[in-house]
Amino acid sequence: MKLRGALVLTLLPILLLSGCSAEDNALLVYSGRSEALLGPLVEKFEQESGLDVEVRYAGSAELAAQLLEEGENSPADVFLAQDAGALGAAAKAGLLTGIPDEIYSLVPSGYSAADQSWVGVSGRARVLVYDPGKVSELPVSIFDLEDASWQGRIGIAPTNASFQAFVTAMRILNGDARTLAWLEAMKVNAVIYEKNGAILEAVEAGQLDAGLINHYYWYARAKDVGQAQMNSRLAQFQAADAGNLVNVAGVGILNSTDAAEQFVSFLLSETGQQYFAQETREYPLVEGISPADELTPLADIPTPAIDLSDLDTLAETLELIRQAGLI
Amino acid sequence: MKRPPIAAVALGLLAALASLIPIGYLLLRLFEGFEAALAELARARTLELLLNTIGLTVSVSLTALAIGAVQAWLTVRTNLPLAPVFAVLATLPLAIPSYVLALGYLSVFPSFSGFWAAWFTLSLATSPYVFLALSAALISSNFAAEEVARSLGKNRWQVIQSVTWPQVRPAAFASVLLVALYTLSEFGAIAILRFDTFTRAIYNAYRGSFDRTSAAALALVLVALTLVVIYFERRYRGDRWQAPTAAGRKRRIDLGRARILAAFGLGIIGLFGAGVPLVSLIGWSVNQTGFDLLRLGELVASSLAVAIAAGVVIGIFALAISVWNLRYSSRLSGAVDLTAWAAHALPAVVVALALVYFGANLVPGIYQSIWLLLLGYLILFLPNALGLVGTPIALVPRSIEEVARSQGLSKNAALTKVVLPIALPGILAGVALASLTVLKELPATLLLRPNELDTLATELWQATEVLAYSQAAPYALALIIIAGVPALALNAQARKLISEVS
Amino acid sequence: MPLLEINDVSVSFGDTEALSGITLELESKQLLAVLGASGAGKSTLMRLIAGFDSVGAGSIVLDGETLSDTSKTVAPEKRSIGIVPQDSALFPHLNVGQNIGFGLSALSKEAKAERVRELLRLIRMEEFASRMPQELSGGQVQRVALARALAPKPKLVLLDEPFSALDAELRGQLREEVRQVLRAEGATAVLVTHDQEEALSLADRVAVLREGKIIQVGSPSEIYNSPADVGIATFLGESVLVDGTVSGGKILTDLGSLSALNNVAEGATGVVAIRSENFYLQPNPTGDSEVVGRVFFGHDALVEVQTPKLRIRARSNGPFAPEVGMRVTVWVRGAVNFYPSS
Repeated sequence: MKLRGALVLTLLPILLLSGCSAEDNALLVYSGRSEALLGPLVEKFEQESGLDVEVRYAGSAELAAQLLEEGENSPADVFLAQDAGALGAAAKAGLLTGIPDEIYSLVPSGYSAADQSWVGVSGRARVLVYDPGKVSELPVSIFDLEDASWQGRIGIAPTNASFQAFVTAMRILNGDARTLAWLEAMKVNAVIYEKNGAILEAVEAGQLDAGLINHYYWYARAKDVGQAQMNSRLAQFQAADAGNLVNVAGVGILNSTDAAEQFVSFLLSETGQQYFAQETREYPLVEGISPADELTPLADIPTPAIDLSDLDTLAETLELIRQAGLI
Repeated sequence: MKRPPIAAVALGLLAALASLIPIGYLLLRLFEGFEAALAELARARTLELLLNTIGLTVSVSLTALAIGAVQAWLTVRTNLPLAPVFAVLATLPLAIPSYVLALGYLSVFPSFSGFWAAWFTLSLATSPYVFLALSAALISSNFAAEEVARSLGKNRWQVIQSVTWPQVRPAAFASVLLVALYTLSEFGAIAILRFDTFTRAIYNAYRGSFDRTSAAALALVLVALTLVVIYFERRYRGDRWQAPTAAGRKRRIDLGRARILAAFGLGIIGLFGAGVPLVSLIGWSVNQTGFDLLRLGELVASSLAVAIAAGVVIGIFALAISVWNLRYSSRLSGAVDLTAWAAHALPAVVVALALVYFGANLVPGIYQSIWLLLLGYLILFLPNALGLVGTPIALVPRSIEEVARSQGLSKNAALTKVVLPIALPGILAGVALASLTVLKELPATLLLRPNELDTLATELWQATEVLAYSQAAPYALALIIIAGVPALALNAQARKLISEVS
Repeated sequence: MPLLEINDVSVSFGDTEALSGITLELESKQLLAVLGASGAGKSTLMRLIAGFDSVGAGSIVLDGETLSDTSKTVAPEKRSIGIVPQDSALFPHLNVGQNIGFGLSALSKEAKAERVRELLRLIRMEEFASRMPQELSGGQVQRVALARALAPKPKLVLLDEPFSALDAELRGQLREEVRQVLRAEGATAVLVTHDQEEALSLADRVAVLREGKIIQVGSPSEIYNSPADVGIATFLGESVLVDGTVSGGKILTDLGSLSALNNVAEGATGVVAIRSENFYLQPNPTGDSEVVGRVFFGHDALVEVQTPKLRIRARSNGPFAPEVGMRVTVWVRGAVNFYPSS
């Protein structure tokens, strides 16, 4: 009797949960961007298009790993990733079927994969956040931070994907040896944080003089408390410096259906782009759409010349960062 | 010639096959890039990882053993004031995910990182395993024998060495095994505390460089380490002595003035094991604005449903294997048991990706369904339940079964009507522990879950990814409260027996 | 001087006084049986003597040394008192030889081996040295437990209901053996039991314990033949209680006029305890009593007889026991104990 009771008890929750397994939807999206962010946009899309969308939320890197394992048999139609590295890995494994010409051309080249396997959706600029009361002389080049005068004053987040992408850019631009030297100098000079947000908070609180973060953290906070209330300021490095890297969150198609292409178009539409601009303060990439008012225009950022797809050579970057003892 | 029940054999073989999936996957990846894998292993870095991993595992195992043993001894055998409260405190870290523990400490000591931080966090996180096992063993050990030993001239310490320890040794070894394997596979806390072990390297390989070959190579080293650990455990654990029912009431040792000191010591341990993280969480929760109670309710329901389902499934398989291996043991049953353990030290991400490969390519029907998720949990946590379920089954004397048979019951009926009811507390404990572990689990859940299924753990992760600690905290608290239920249930068994000790 | 002196010992647990005013003495090489029902306080007394609990009042002195009193309690490992607990409690991880030699760590390896051999011989289990406790039978386990307690030649051995777990036949056999072993070792022992047969057959002296107090101490025959009160009388052996009044130095009862064993006050009323074996049933077709029941044990029988006023049970020789329905005259042999009521 008891055994039967136990079996029923097991089956009940399973049956309830079975209802959650994949239905026959029009579209399955793997999203490395959080549900809090993407959810409302997906809803808008569903309303406008009348299509059913199912989204799987996880980290961009985890999803890329999952896609690699799934291989050809992946049920996903679209992969929305928070950084170029994850998209590059999927592209390298031949999983992305390529973006149609008319969609691909919406975004200026340089922000998408050179081989048209994926397209950028929003831009994320690396910046230096600093406390104007404590920093009188701004660094011109990223390499200025190696100087002993910066010891204990600069914050970095070495486990963060954006930082790693930036270091990869430095490797591509300046070579491995120079990059390692810079990293080793950071080991001496820098204060380590887990996340960009923590760096910003530290600078705002007066605990840290400066830090390397992504631009939108500052603007998101400014939106919350009012720009006038912000203690810290943002600065760029000299032209073509690795420290000015603009990384992108991008999207690739795994299964080219009408629904998939519609979704990608939506992300690059006025609605989609404005959404990113307003919600997260990232840079819309489609020409003609302006970022939030307070941001420096994208064209004005002196970015380095890099094919973002090359940012997927993360293994070597991680190796250098580890070698320097930062992780 | 004793033949085991068909159901037990079938389920046991199924579990063994399931456990072979990740190992098969690793071998597949290994042979895809054999030379690259060898190159990876030959690096100096690998040696560094090996030393780190072994060092952490050994130190955490010994520390958890020491903490758990002291807690068990004091609460069961002495007149420690408020013993039941300290027993609960000792069990509580079981309900707290290790990454929450780490975050809790980090918020109080921002520079908390490296080997010592990892050692500290994991020792506290795993000591409940030892505490639960040793409490149970101490309660059922032969107390009268200890008094006889004293009458024969041994002082208190000698009695512990020569009489108590040999009786609790199997329980000690079994629980330390769980601790060691947990440390080998642990990721969440290690990542936050930035200490490099094999598991962290494996994760970085998958997530950072998408290099599955080197990840597989490293993971196979972990499997090898697991087998080594298991070998040592089985070799040195000693036999299980069937404890005779000790007649007469059990007495508590009077600590005298040391009572306060002992209580203080246990209090400090409890403070770090549970107090600090809980206070941090409550602090973050207070900063919370706009809290969605309905969402919390949804998440609680789904987390519970998944955890209970998984717990029961794991319990059934654990029962099958225990019955087969302990009452009808053969070479095959031993091999099945070993296989179930071999996959236990694999990081959850490895098992999950193996199942992603398996599911997406071989059995797409169950891919991204609850069944695959349950399969993942089964592979990951079956060994947790095996120990708890196995012990009472092993101790039921064969004669009871024989009497039942002589009264006309068939073999299966004898099992279900006679053995199982006696073994029920252990079975329930196994289900409780498995459910508890599933509640806290994160990486495999993220990868294997059906698309629209969210649990407290995944929600928690989403929030911490964007540093929204205030947002995460209520979910973490809810998780701990719910996980507290099976944790306390596990402890209640021990507590009930403790209060019976006069 | 007696080896063991227990002087006015009392102890309480919480509100209940478990033992009060216990005074006992034991000479060297003697066996004292403490006899009492469950809950009487026997185990408590054992634990006090062994040193696992402290006395609330009084003192325990062994061989001239005060082991327990209100100011101190000598630790059990320093008392040189061996114990054989109720369930033997052999060390499950050690074999028989190692169990017996457990307390001999002070000896050299050869001396230890020799002593273990000696004890194995004594309990007649020489071939069992390397067996494990799980492989032994109930009786064997108790013998090993005894040998283990005796190995270090303790001053005193305490046996806590050592035979209660065994079946009747084994019990009798083992009792004899245990007595022999104790004598051979010249051991002084205290045996605690609820079984009166055990106490009477094994002990040199018997102390009756009831509700934490010693009611009577004496030799087995004293206890049996002259129990101090009705309670003891009925506890030991089968007795019949009959009301009686003292008159002219004799006790007048419904079974006739009986001689008194103890001193009696003229005119006192009370109860007389007559052992069933003290009845003599004389077959008499005109007797005033009738046999109404009989339980036949082979060597003897318990015969239920209805006298004019009472129903009694008498023991009778097996072959000669009266049949049911026979008429008999009931006689009481010898003198009886009189317990005045007040």
